Amino acid sequence: MLQISHLSFAYEQGPYLLHDLSMEIRDGDYVAIVGENGSGKSTLVKLILGLLSPSSGTISSTFRRPAYVPQPTDMINKQFPITVREVLDYTRQVLQIKDRNAVDRALDRMHIASLQDHLIGALSGGQYQKVMIAKALLGKPDLMIFDEPSTGMDLKSQDDLYPLIHHLNEERGITVITVEHNLRYAAHNASSFFHVVRGQGHFCTPHEYIQEYLTENGGDCAHV
Amino acid sequence: MFDYAFMRNAFLISLLISLICPLIGTFLVLRRYSMIGDALSHASLAGVATGLLFHANPIISAFCLTSFFGLLIEVLREKFRRYAELTLVIVLSLSVGIAITIISSGLVHANVDFFLFGSILTVSQGEVTTVAILTVVSLLTIFGLFPQLVLLSFDEDGARILGVKARAINYIFSILVAATISVSIRIVGILVISSLIALPVATALQLRQGFKKTMALAVFFSFLDVMAGLLASYYIGAAPGGITAIVSVLLLLLVIFFQSCSQKREVPHAQS
Repeated sequence: MLQISHLSFAYEQGPYLLHDLSMEIRDGDYVAIVGENGSGKSTLVKLILGLLSPSSGTISSTFRRPAYVPQPTDMINKQFPITVREVLDYTRQVLQIKDRNAVDRALDRMHIASLQDHLIGALSGGQYQKVMIAKALLGKPDLMIFDEPSTGMDLKSQDDLYPLIHHLNEERGITVITVEHNLRYAAHNASSFFHVVRGQGHFCTPHEYIQEYLTENGGDCAHV
Repeated sequence: MFDYAFMRNAFLISLLISLICPLIGTFLVLRRYSMIGDALSHASLAGVATGLLFHANPIISAFCLTSFFGLLIEVLREKFRRYAELTLVIVLSLSVGIAITIISSGLVHANVDFFLFGSILTVSQGEVTTVAILTVVSLLTIFGLFPQLVLLSFDEDGARILGVKARAINYIFSILVAATISVSIRIVGILVISSLIALPVATALQLRQGFKKTMALAVFFSFLDVMAGLLASYYIGAAPGGITAIVSVLLLLLVIFFQSCSQKREVPHAQS
């Protein structure tokens, strides 16, 4: 379980990006965090992952093996000289997994064995994300956080990705949090939405979120 | 030329330098910390000057003070997150200030030029031992922390989520950079150490290989650079640091040239 109570956060001297935000995510949930650009969704995720410290409030988690899958367009450094296999093998070593075959199994599971000797910078967005998911699954996560998983991906890749996330949640019991812009897939898969707006957040249904969005934007439904 | 003891000492140290510099350099370049290597190499002059002042082993004193300045950069980088380059100016001002004060005061009765430009004539057996110990300890540390260092360089946030203790490893890494610079001072010289740390890696990166192959290629190019400097120094009497720097730049340009030629040849082939 993940419990966030009265969380506030500001970058150095800046204004509060999140203010008095509370939420609770139970084991096995699939929560889509939604909201406009700059609303603080990614900051909330970084706080959950422990990459940032709250200005005030508390985050307590019983998840022991969180994993993070970054945006497919957010390739860390395309020039970095590392192969797919090396990324997975160094991850295995850091996680102190003694079984060397774990990397082969991770490659097979994501159907990327043929890419193992490719440089990471030579991959497409969809292939890169499969590598990041394989990397995340190496640690047998109990919580997986996806940051805008469909950004920059074609429809075919999206059609492959969301059933996989759904499978990880339903069949393997992994709690899933996605930062979402793709409401079609999120509404189809997530058990609930968490709408971050003006530094605060609340749970809602996809229908309620669309209503709130239309009210805030005077009926402009381009984003939706 | 290996009949001379000084050449055997110089060759041994050159061999160790050509191994350790590109190993550390690969992480420095990929983490975009090349300028930190440059700043610390200049900062090591303060260590050399202090060692000469107190008649201590200048390599040991350079290691101690460069480690201190490396840790200071790490501490200041957390303080000045948005102006990271400012930390280099602070450390350079302090270290070079100390060095200039000691050297210009006339308290040091030794030739600092050997440390600025590198020299093969004045390497003692004791210094070979010091360099060997520092190199072996550095190599063991690098290989002990290898997967953590690679993942921190590739994706620092991702590594932190996996449980890598980034801050502690960054501090250890600063000390490794200090050790690398200290062992390189005698042969390459303070002024051009950064070329040996960064340029063989830049040359290896042009060949677009995986991590381990890139590192191995960087060691190979570094070996060529250092040996060219050593041979030129023996035959024409110039300081080895200068030749090493020139060869490392020429080798980089040569590889860039051949790479661009081979890419041009591939384009019509791919279209046909």
